[in-house]
Amino acid sequence: MEKYYDIIVIGAGAIGSSVAYHLQEAGFSVALLEKKDVASGSSSHCDAVGLICDKLPGIDTRMGQASIDYFGVLAKKFHYDFEYNPKGCLYICETKPEFDAASEYCAKQNADGYPLRMVRTEELCSMEPYIARDLYGALYTPSSGSVAVNPYKLCFAFVHEAKELGLDCYTYCDISRIDLNPETHAVESVVTNYGTFHTKKIVDCAGVWAPEIGKLVGIDIPIEPRKGTNLVSEQTPQLCFHKILEYGYMMSKFDSINFKRDVSPLVEEQNIAFNLEYTKAHNLLVGGNRLFRGMDTRSEIETMKAICERAMRFYPKLRDIKCIRAYSGVRPFVKDHLPIVSDVDSVPGFYIAAGHEGDGICFSPITGRFVKQIICGQPTDFDISKLDYSRFMKEEALAS
Amino acid sequence: MSVKMIDVLVIGAGPAGLAAAIEAAKLSASVIIADLNMKPGGQLFKQIHKFFGSSAHHSGSRGIDIGRMLLNEAEEAGVEIWLKSTVTGIFPGGKVSIEREYDDRDAELVTLHPKEVVIATGASENAIRFKNWTAPGVMGAGAAQTMVNVNHVRPGNKVVMLGSGNVGLIVSYQLMQAGCDVKALVEAAPKIGGYAVHAAKIRRAGVPILLRHTIIEAKTGQDGSVCGCVTAEVNEHFAPIPGTEETIDCDVITIAAGLKPTMDLIKLAGCELTYDALFGGYVPLHSEKMETSVRGIFVAGDSTGVEEANTALDEGRIAGISAAEGLGLISETEAADRRTEIWRRLDSLRMGPFGERRRTEKNHLIELYHESVKEQKAFA
Repeated sequence: MEKYYDIIVIGAGAIGSSVAYHLQEAGFSVALLEKKDVASGSSSHCDAVGLICDKLPGIDTRMGQASIDYFGVLAKKFHYDFEYNPKGCLYICETKPEFDAASEYCAKQNADGYPLRMVRTEELCSMEPYIARDLYGALYTPSSGSVAVNPYKLCFAFVHEAKELGLDCYTYCDISRIDLNPETHAVESVVTNYGTFHTKKIVDCAGVWAPEIGKLVGIDIPIEPRKGTNLVSEQTPQLCFHKILEYGYMMSKFDSINFKRDVSPLVEEQNIAFNLEYTKAHNLLVGGNRLFRGMDTRSEIETMKAICERAMRFYPKLRDIKCIRAYSGVRPFVKDHLPIVSDVDSVPGFYIAAGHEGDGICFSPITGRFVKQIICGQPTDFDISKLDYSRFMKEEALAS
Repeated sequence: MSVKMIDVLVIGAGPAGLAAAIEAAKLSASVIIADLNMKPGGQLFKQIHKFFGSSAHHSGSRGIDIGRMLLNEAEEAGVEIWLKSTVTGIFPGGKVSIEREYDDRDAELVTLHPKEVVIATGASENAIRFKNWTAPGVMGAGAAQTMVNVNHVRPGNKVVMLGSGNVGLIVSYQLMQAGCDVKALVEAAPKIGGYAVHAAKIRRAGVPILLRHTIIEAKTGQDGSVCGCVTAEVNEHFAPIPGTEETIDCDVITIAAGLKPTMDLIKLAGCELTYDALFGGYVPLHSEKMETSVRGIFVAGDSTGVEEANTALDEGRIAGISAAEGLGLISETEAADRRTEIWRRLDSLRMGPFGERRRTEKNHLIELYHESVKEQKAFA
């Protein structure tokens, strides 16, 4: 079978689904190619929130806020319900140094107009009655900057809405080759088990698998898989009322800050960042961690134990609640913690929208919009030159 | 985190697991057998009826006595038996986590690092769905059997049994022995599924066996539990025929609709599976050594395909010998000789109209293993 599409989008996770939707809506003929099924990779092995308060001040936060606002618009516009649920978030500070650092962060975000605020122990305990009583305080983000969605349904929603507009979605699609014009290196066709798709444009939204697609056109995409694990509890009465994360981890996550938490060797070694959320199905999701383990997504017993240890420190009541299962996934990690949303100079017609690490769900709406704007030659909502693929070329040039 | 090293971990202390543990321990492997129940023996201890088969397979013995014998043998061989110990996962690096409960202190999560693992997790009962099938009072026939034979508690007073296979027939009779009033057996097929000898006992007691019937609803009382059972005739496509509904007064509905292999840990270990309708569902591919596509992971008993206690025992023995062979505790030739002998015995067990089909199917599964598993995966 041979077919022509204006644009081929590769990968039906949150990013690819959103990109396909936005391009289809813009009037292109689009095919979405997926190696397995819709939402079968990182987008179904994650948690379910979009936040501004886990972003660095600047473009990172700006994209987060734009995306969170956009979620609200899509929730109204879409027929398919993706369980849009704005709810506040608490970044808990175990100690005074953490609280001080969070206050500084809060002040910077306030200066940019984001309504974050600090709360002390007493208020924290009234907001979260089951939280440990000995915590110094927390950074509070109101629901305008913190939203929960169902990540599976989000992908299904984008695909469903795009199909209504005429999208062709090919699941269990193996791509064996991408053919380029021998002279111009421009994209010409994608060879798959469904036949050959002729096209002038390809968007690589394959997340941790984006480098594999990159190889097919001879480019190196510096994304590495970074594993995370979540535990699922039995159904319980509501134990927490906000999205909960620990601030200390933020401080160790970003290399700029040299900070060490007072935690056990197991928690340290497993790189645990406590976070907790109560789901619509009345289970708790308890996370999480960041480890480099290649593509191995099996859950590890040490990780599970360490998550439990850290979680019980913040919510002692978890001791009485059973864990029913664990799941692990891989985030598409980029060294500078920023995604790649960009064209590629050396391969005309090839675009990348990948590398969102732990922010793929959160950034999916705005990323779809950006890709549409780039491909249509429109100005993007705001300057995203920092997300350009060429930044790695510059880095290489500097190094040599 | 402390990780305990051992030679062989056997999961499940039913006939397959006990036999595997005994063989491996007799060849001087250090063996722990973990089982989530309070008592070892699996289903043996609720089998108070006599077994069929040859003398090499304890014919004429009752399951409960075979269970006691195996336990003694395991203890003498030095097998460490961990009860109330639930294996919660098989993890990268060959680690196995076990939630171990105690009588006198808090439960703990223990991590073992066994060199070889025998998974003998048995089977679980199939459910049949009808209106209110989750109401208190609806249960598996095996669960009802455990209640009367092991815990000496009647599940209720008036019972309707769905399914007329051997389990349905035997459990109905045992419920009657325990003092329950078995109101009827309901069977969708046009003839009784189990042996005539078992069916005759039920019939003699005056219990009707309603062929070409099914249950379409459990009636529930004010407290939500079962207070009746609506049956209906079925057509040749097993669909209920409107207008044939009848209500039977009962407080328990037991379902004997077959079993499926318990595959959770086998799947988690990454063993290659195949679907096999005759054996009750997904089963692991395994060699004549009872080894799976993952090196060092062995299987035995109902978790490799639903059969019976005798075949489980022999498969367990093979798995135990093979595990010991993997540890270098028995020579390859000796292990092979012993396996051949047991396989011959197993063939003699798998005779008759049902047995023959199972024998052919087992051989087919082993062939399939050699065809599709070119290289075993490492247990790591």
